[in-house]
Amino acid sequence: MPQTKLMDLEEAISTYIDDGDLIGIGGLSFWRKPIATCREIIRQKKKELSICTFVGGLDVDMLIAAGCVSEIRSSFVGMEVFGMAPNYRKAVQEASIKIIEETEASIALGLKASYLKVPFMPLKGIIGTDFPKIRKDIKEFEDPLGSGIKLMALPKIDLDVAILHVPYADEYGNGNVAGAVWLDDDMAKTAKKTIITCEKIVELNDMINLPGKAQLPMQTTKAVVKVPFGAHPTSCYDKYTFDALHIQKYMKIDFKDYKKKYINLDSHTQYLEEVGGSQMISNINLQTKNTSN
Amino acid sequence: MSEESKDYSIDEMMAVLMAREVRNDDVMIVGVATPMVWSAFTLAKLTNAPNAIYHYIMGNTFVFEPCQVSLLYLEMNTTRAYRFQNSGECTLESLPSDNLTTIEFFRPAQIDQYGNTNNICIGDWYKPKIRLPGCAGIADFSMFYSRGTFLYTPRHDTRRFVPKVDFISGVGFQNGNNPLCGGAGPQSVITNLAYLDFEERSKTMRLASLHPDIDIETIIKSTGFDLIIPNKIKNTKPPTKKEIKLLREKIDPLNIRKLEVLTGKEREELLSIIIEKELAMTNKIPLLLNS
Repeated sequence: MPQTKLMDLEEAISTYIDDGDLIGIGGLSFWRKPIATCREIIRQKKKELSICTFVGGLDVDMLIAAGCVSEIRSSFVGMEVFGMAPNYRKAVQEASIKIIEETEASIALGLKASYLKVPFMPLKGIIGTDFPKIRKDIKEFEDPLGSGIKLMALPKIDLDVAILHVPYADEYGNGNVAGAVWLDDDMAKTAKKTIITCEKIVELNDMINLPGKAQLPMQTTKAVVKVPFGAHPTSCYDKYTFDALHIQKYMKIDFKDYKKKYINLDSHTQYLEEVGGSQMISNINLQTKNTSN
Repeated sequence: MSEESKDYSIDEMMAVLMAREVRNDDVMIVGVATPMVWSAFTLAKLTNAPNAIYHYIMGNTFVFEPCQVSLLYLEMNTTRAYRFQNSGECTLESLPSDNLTTIEFFRPAQIDQYGNTNNICIGDWYKPKIRLPGCAGIADFSMFYSRGTFLYTPRHDTRRFVPKVDFISGVGFQNGNNPLCGGAGPQSVITNLAYLDFEERSKTMRLASLHPDIDIETIIKSTGFDLIIPNKIKNTKPPTKKEIKLLREKIDPLNIRKLEVLTGKEREELLSIIIEKELAMTNKIPLLLNS
C-alpha cells in the first residue's frame, strides 16, 4: 500500500508552505475555496507569498489583509454581488502588492504549459488588448506551421504549492470533486506539493466508486487533512452552499476585528461555533431531506 | 403579440432587450454574479429562443432546461442539471460545435466609441485611481465570437462612456478597424437610457433607439464622446405585459436581477431580503420552468 498522508492542518502548512512560495488556490470565486487553509496560513504568519487563482474572492482578500501576500496572479478578484474585495482594492491602489495581470486563458494555459513541461502555450485571443504592454512575458507570434494565423504565447506557471478543498479524499492523496473541477486538477498535476483538505476521508476502494473518481491525482499530494466545512464561508458542493450571511459580515467588519473573532482561534470546532454553529450549518446545508443527492 | 406594458422598471427593460438579442441556435454564456443577464437568457428560453443552451461559467456546464434565478443555489443548478461538462481550458473557446453560435453580455466599467472596453482599472495601470476586479475571460474571447460581442451597463454616464478607455481589456473595433481574429466585433450596447449599435462603415457607436421618456439631450450629455445620432430617432419598443409577467412571476420572483442596477443602501437591503427568502426555502433545488 502507498504511504498515508493524513496529518493535521497546522503540521501540513508548517511543513509544506515556505515564505515566498507561489501558491495555487483552487475553487472559483465563492465556490470550493480552501478557506480553513487560508486561515491557518494567516495564523502561521506566512510572508511574501505569490498567489495564483483562477477567480479570487474572500481567499485573496483575507490573505492580503493579513499581510501574507506580495504578489497576485488572477483573472478577477471580487466579492460577486456583495461588492468589491476591499483589502485587495486598497492594497493595489496603495501599491503594497504587485499584480501580474492575468486572464482566464493565461492562467489555464500557463498551468497546462507547466505540466506539459513546455515554456509556453499558444492562444488565439488577447490580441489587440493592452495586456502585452504590461506583461512583457507574453508575446504575439505567427503560426510557425504556416497558416498565417497570429497567436499569443503565454508563459508557463510553475506552482510551488497547490492548496485545494474537496468533498472527498482518500488518505493517499486522491481527491474527488463532486461539482465543477475548475483548475484544481491542473494545479494538482503541476504543483511541486499539493495540500488537500476534505470534508470526508473515504477508503481507497470507495474512491473508485465515486462519480468522476479521483480528479486530483495522488502523485503530487503531500498532505491530506480532514476539515469538515473547510471551505466555509465559501461553498463545497454537494455538501453546502456559501454562507451569504457571513460574507455580508466580512464586508462590514474591519479585518483586524474579523481576525480576532474568526481566525485567531484555538480550534476549527471553536471556529464553527463562532460562525453560528448548528444554525449556520442548517442554513448552508444542501443535503436536506427534500434532496435526493 | 402581447400588449405593451406601461408598468416596468429599468432592470426589466434591459433584461427584455437582452433577451430579444438571443437566437434559437445560441449558446448563452452565463457569467458569475450577472443575475440580470441570467434572467434575460431565461426569458429568451421561454419566448423567442426555446432551443438555446446555457453555458454556465460557474461550472463550465451546458444546461438545456431553464430554471428560476437563484443567488444561493446557482451551483446546485449548474452542477445537478448539466449533461456535458467542459474541462478548465475549454472556457477558452466556449463553442461546442460549428453549428452553434455564442452570445455573451459583457458589462464594461469603461467603453469608447469603437466598443473597446475596460474592466481592469481607472487611471494608469501602474498607479490606478481605482482598481477594478479584473476582466476574467473578456480579453480572451471578445475578438472572435462569430456573432460578435454584446455590451450592457445600467449606468449610462460620462464615467463609463469615455473617448479613450484607460486599459483595453476587451477589443472592439480598435480605432475604427475591422474586427480581429474573425469575430464580428461589438454589436450593441444596452443601457438604462438607450439601445446603441455601431455604424457599419465607421464602426462608431450610434443611437439606435431611445427608451421611452428619455430625451435626446440626456443621451448626449451622458455620453463622453460624439454618438452618431440619426436624423429620425426611434423609440425603444417597451416590454410586453407577457414579458414582464414572466420575469416577475416565473423567472426571478426574488428580484435578484435588480442587484445589478441598485447601489448603496438600497442594494444592501435588497440583498438581505433575497438571502433571507432563499434561506427560508425548504427546497434548495432551483425550480425548473416549463418553456
